[in-house]
Amino acid sequence: MNGVLAVYRKELLSYFRSPIAYFVLAVFLLGTGYFFTYNMFLSGSASMTETFRNMGILLLTVSPLMSMRLFAAEYSGRTMELLATLPLAPWEIVLGKFLGAVTILLLMTAGTLIDLVPLYLFGNPQTTTIVAGYTGFVLLGMAFLAVGQLFSALTNNQIVAALITVPVLLSFWFVGYLQSFQSSYALRGLFGYLSFALHFADFVQGLIRSEGVIFFLIVSAIALTLNAGYLQWRR
Amino acid sequence: MIALESVSKRFGSKTIVHDLTFDVKQGEIVGFLGPNGAGKTTTMRMIAGFTAASSGRVTVAGYDMATHNEQAARKIGYQPEHPPLYDTLNVSQYLRFVARAKGVPRSQFRSELDRVAIACRLQEVLDREIYKLSKGYRQRVGLAQALLGRPEVLLLDEPTAGLDPGQIQETREVIRSFGERHAVLLSTHILPEATLICQRVAIINQGRLLAIDSPSGLQRASEQTNRVTLIATAPPEALRAELLSIAGVIAVAINQAAGSARTLNVECQTDARDGVEAAIARSVSGRWDLHRLERLQPTLENVFLRYVSQVPSEAVQ
Repeated sequence: MNGVLAVYRKELLSYFRSPIAYFVLAVFLLGTGYFFTYNMFLSGSASMTETFRNMGILLLTVSPLMSMRLFAAEYSGRTMELLATLPLAPWEIVLGKFLGAVTILLLMTAGTLIDLVPLYLFGNPQTTTIVAGYTGFVLLGMAFLAVGQLFSALTNNQIVAALITVPVLLSFWFVGYLQSFQSSYALRGLFGYLSFALHFADFVQGLIRSEGVIFFLIVSAIALTLNAGYLQWRR
Repeated sequence: MIALESVSKRFGSKTIVHDLTFDVKQGEIVGFLGPNGAGKTTTMRMIAGFTAASSGRVTVAGYDMATHNEQAARKIGYQPEHPPLYDTLNVSQYLRFVARAKGVPRSQFRSELDRVAIACRLQEVLDREIYKLSKGYRQRVGLAQALLGRPEVLLLDEPTAGLDPGQIQETREVIRSFGERHAVLLSTHILPEATLICQRVAIINQGRLLAIDSPSGLQRASEQTNRVTLIATAPPEALRAELLSIAGVIAVAINQAAGSARTLNVECQTDARDGVEAAIARSVSGRWDLHRLERLQPTLENVFLRYVSQVPSEAVQ
């Protein structure tokens, strides 16, 4: 666990000493603010539902920017040689890095809480729905980051890592649309189950379903396990 | 502390390291000498646990690197060829990260950091971002990182590359003092470095171990044939016949000395017996003018070049 902590602290330091974290934070908060304002005035309702939907897509585009450097930069900076020869198990490296990225995600999420101030000031929003939405958003982000981190470990080029991550995440996002073309009940179920968007939609509606929670956690766990396994195999 | 038993490393069909066997004992500094591309770095990486050996066994501090590399990693300080630095961190943040990852207890952070900073002369740059450091400093941060946690085994891949002469001197002192208690394997292509600080030198080329011995042992081994050079004024053919008649002289090469038609530069190959030079001196000066006679001591450089140049012909056989 000490190893996880060491890697975690190093990751956080690296994030905040490079412009990427600030850039991603700024883009995300600007985007969220824009959507929030738009939805507020357009629908005239004191709810976050539409804004959460937009935040999900926005996160899909910025999370690869957060995850792309996680391993690719270690390879290209030749620091992987240090990381791999320190007394750290592959899973400690993977988990430390993941928690570092998740911390940035939580900071981003916390930044959007400011939107709630006018909501509660001038309206009467449903707190449970908002809590569910935020829960879903964080879980979705964890899955995005875990997948992005896995692809970052497969290449020594950060741009390539991001370029692979985006279409993969998009496929997981939109795979639910394939349901409409399937007559087979099993395939419809499968595509529905794999869809990030459909699971996230439940949360946005205010439903914290264990199925959705478990889905995002399992996706993260699979990606992180493959990631650690790949590091082990790479020796 | 470090033991390699017929270790090989293949990448695809290419064999980078060939059946390497040697060891480094506690309290010993072993120099790992070879031209660029000889397989030094690959061997270092196998010992450090960065890459696995294709066959054979690498043991560090009693741990088999194939199965117990994490336990072994606690005993190893490794300075890769390219200092593995995080450019955005400052030096003390970087060293703290390594200390934490190595499991140095929190209470010892301060003293450990001070110790390696003093040893590698980094005190003035501890708060500086790594990307701002000069090449010499980067190299020394890489060494400092390896020294953290007092590892029993130190692997240094060309630790003095990129340093100025003063820094090289200091770095050698650090390594020497460390080698008194620990096992150090030091790769270099700088020969005097190996002679100066290593108890033993392993010569490697094209992935094969050519020789391993003390620097003086290597020199002695190559004294099987010696070279004697002389400058004399004499008729070339008569001189050659005279020299070849002396017991111990194997071959004679005669060149006209520059600037004089009658002065000759002569190089004799002799065997190892004593008194050959004296016999040459006696017989040449008895008949002609002998201006100078010198026995060439084989330097480690000659030894090295001889071993390294042997390889292609061996490989052909």
